[in-house]
Amino acid sequence: MTEKIRLEAVTKLFNTRGTTTVALKPVDLSVRDNEFVALVGPSGCGKSTILNMVAGLMPASGGRVLYDGAPVAGANRRVGYMTQKDTLLPWRSTADNIRLALELKCRRTAKSEADDRVAQMIDLVGLKGFEKHFPAELSGGMRKRAALARTLIYEPETLLMDEPFGALDAQLKLVMLDQLQRLTQDRRMTVLFVTHDLAEAITLADRIVIFSGRPGRIRSIHDIALPRPRDVYKARFDPDFAHLHATLWDEMKDDVIAAGARA
Amino acid sequence: MTPRQTLAWQVALGLLLMALWEALGQLGAVNYVSRPSLVAAKLALWFGGTVYQHLGTTLIELILGMGIGSSLGIVAGLFLGRAPVAAVVLRPLIVALYSVPLVALAPLFIMFLGLGVLPKIVLVGLVTFFLLFFNTFAGAERIDEDQVHALELMGASRGEIFRKVVAPGTAVWIVGGLKIALPYALVATITGELLATRAGLGFLLSQASERFDMAGLYAVLFILMTIGLLLSEASARLETHLLHWRQGHD
Amino acid sequence: MIAWAASPFGRIVTRVLLVLACLAFWQFIPVSRAVRFWMSSPSLIAEQFWLWLLDGTLWFHLQASLYVMAQGYVIGSAFGIVFGFLLGHFRRVHRVLTPFLSAVYAVPKIALTPLFIILLGVDNASKIALVGVTVFFLILTATIDGVRDVDHDMVQSFSLMGATRLEIVRKLLIPASLPWIFTGMRIAVRYAFTNTLLAELIASNRGLGFLIEFNSGNFNTTGSYAAIFALVLCSVGLTELLSRGEARIARWRLP
Repeated sequence: MTEKIRLEAVTKLFNTRGTTTVALKPVDLSVRDNEFVALVGPSGCGKSTILNMVAGLMPASGGRVLYDGAPVAGANRRVGYMTQKDTLLPWRSTADNIRLALELKCRRTAKSEADDRVAQMIDLVGLKGFEKHFPAELSGGMRKRAALARTLIYEPETLLMDEPFGALDAQLKLVMLDQLQRLTQDRRMTVLFVTHDLAEAITLADRIVIFSGRPGRIRSIHDIALPRPRDVYKARFDPDFAHLHATLWDEMKDDVIAAGARA
Repeated sequence: MTPRQTLAWQVALGLLLMALWEALGQLGAVNYVSRPSLVAAKLALWFGGTVYQHLGTTLIELILGMGIGSSLGIVAGLFLGRAPVAAVVLRPLIVALYSVPLVALAPLFIMFLGLGVLPKIVLVGLVTFFLLFFNTFAGAERIDEDQVHALELMGASRGEIFRKVVAPGTAVWIVGGLKIALPYALVATITGELLATRAGLGFLLSQASERFDMAGLYAVLFILMTIGLLLSEASARLETHLLHWRQGHD
Repeated sequence: MIAWAASPFGRIVTRVLLVLACLAFWQFIPVSRAVRFWMSSPSLIAEQFWLWLLDGTLWFHLQASLYVMAQGYVIGSAFGIVFGFLLGHFRRVHRVLTPFLSAVYAVPKIALTPLFIILLGVDNASKIALVGVTVFFLILTATIDGVRDVDHDMVQSFSLMGATRLEIVRKLLIPASLPWIFTGMRIAVRYAFTNTLLAELIASNRGLGFLIEFNSGNFNTTGSYAAIFALVLCSVGLTELLSRGEARIARWRLP
């Protein structure tokens, strides 16, 4: 399999009022085409920074970020990015928000086809009956799902997701994980997925990258050899899953506790 | 108190006030307060012919000034609001300008442009330009950058980002600016007309006051009140129409 | 270069250069005598301004304006607060009066000037009345909003404690609506200033507004610009004063 994303000794420094903080120590990471990689770690370890750099929204302070072998310069239009805060446009209804990407010149779609695809997406994320609602009238979970549909509808080859399901309740989260797995497998997407939920990461990922906090750096990388397709609803009762969870948790718990003490 | 009762009270109070006013006039204060019946007669007379010319002049000044000023103001505000460096450099100058009551420049325009409708249009245009500019500028600056980024990643062009995020995102602020600018524009028009003019409601007003024609004076005030109410109704409608997405669902 | 212009030091330099460039352009652009008459020039305006500063003209007119503005402001605020409390408290009365208030409010206040002049004369009284009426409506609305915003549960808990009506007003309604009133009063300063100027434009023999109107009326372009420069200075000074005062008030207002 070919390489999709490559970080070479990437660092990030932030300047605020004269003081420089190191957000990310040199990070090397390679993501293959059609691979699902989860970035796990305590808050403030620079996971989101990595997504921003791959999306081209933020330059690296040092090192190189490569996408398909070429350095990322400016907004990377081959990725779909679901940020932590949803970026739905408040003046558009759910359906119109989801349709947004299909209205753009670069992938202008005939109205009837766009209608079909929007309806399909709304069905997929379970927002039927809320097509005409405005974002302000949706719950947090619904907004997340609308944002997911808006990103998936144009089928970007790579998905960057920053804790996309943080606000959802446990049951709904499983449903969404199931759908996400199916979609990314069907459409052969590459996914970079930030989360602090270890179970979520094990359920979905081919590889898990564990970060340690402040300044962020990679602590360890683990292959998740669970067979696919995985049963999202039952995976966590599998003994292999439990074993992995225990190992990985041991790996990261000190950092999480330290981050908790700082917070 | 039911809405019907409230209405009944309002009608009763209205009638009582009219009666008091009429009585005050009858009792000899007519030279100062006139009488509702005289004002009504005056209005009837005017609306039989002469008032339309003045009404038209005022409305033309108002509408042209508003139209030109607000559209230019919106364009300038959007432009500067999306040019961060220019905004940073110019901010203190903009703030300083914002604090100046520009309608006080009326005499300057009359000096430049004479007694016709032109100086009033320029005055109204200037005042509304800046009100709309300040509001649009503030709105455009506060556009959520994350939304802009989201569209960039989707492959949107600059023009598409502008049409789909910046322009609608600023609409709240533009409507806010219009709500302030409409009554202000009326004030600017009347100020210009009171200062020097040959036609318009302000002209009628100063003519009436020079002749101590109290009925005429109150009649003009009545017309202006109606225009003011229509303007505020119009801006309220515009707001609900454009910003319906802000209302909660029920 | 662009990044430098945005840096804290660079932006100040850029501003100064920008203003200087505009002034130099105004001063030195070669134009015909007629155009120069209408444009005047920064040096002439500065000279005129300096003269007014020395001979007390500026101070005289500024004082006149501030006097009218302050009187109108105080009178308008006082009436606004009192009636605001009454109407905020007696909601039925307020509901009945609402259409009447909106109707009067809809009249552009400046149009009342001829009426005030007939009723009160051309002296300060008519100008104070205009400022007062404008301020009155602003403070009235702010106070009513403030009083009505007081939590109804809080009023109930007060009466359950055995507070009298007067005690509820003194210990709850007044302190709770103060922030609203302050906000209204802050906004009203600008309106008071504007209306003072407008009243002076229309009928007066003193004040900053008169200074502008008088010079423009006599086609004295240099004088007009100098008067407008004085107006800009006053406006900026007033805004500055307000934002400082506000910062001071905010300290004890915020919890």
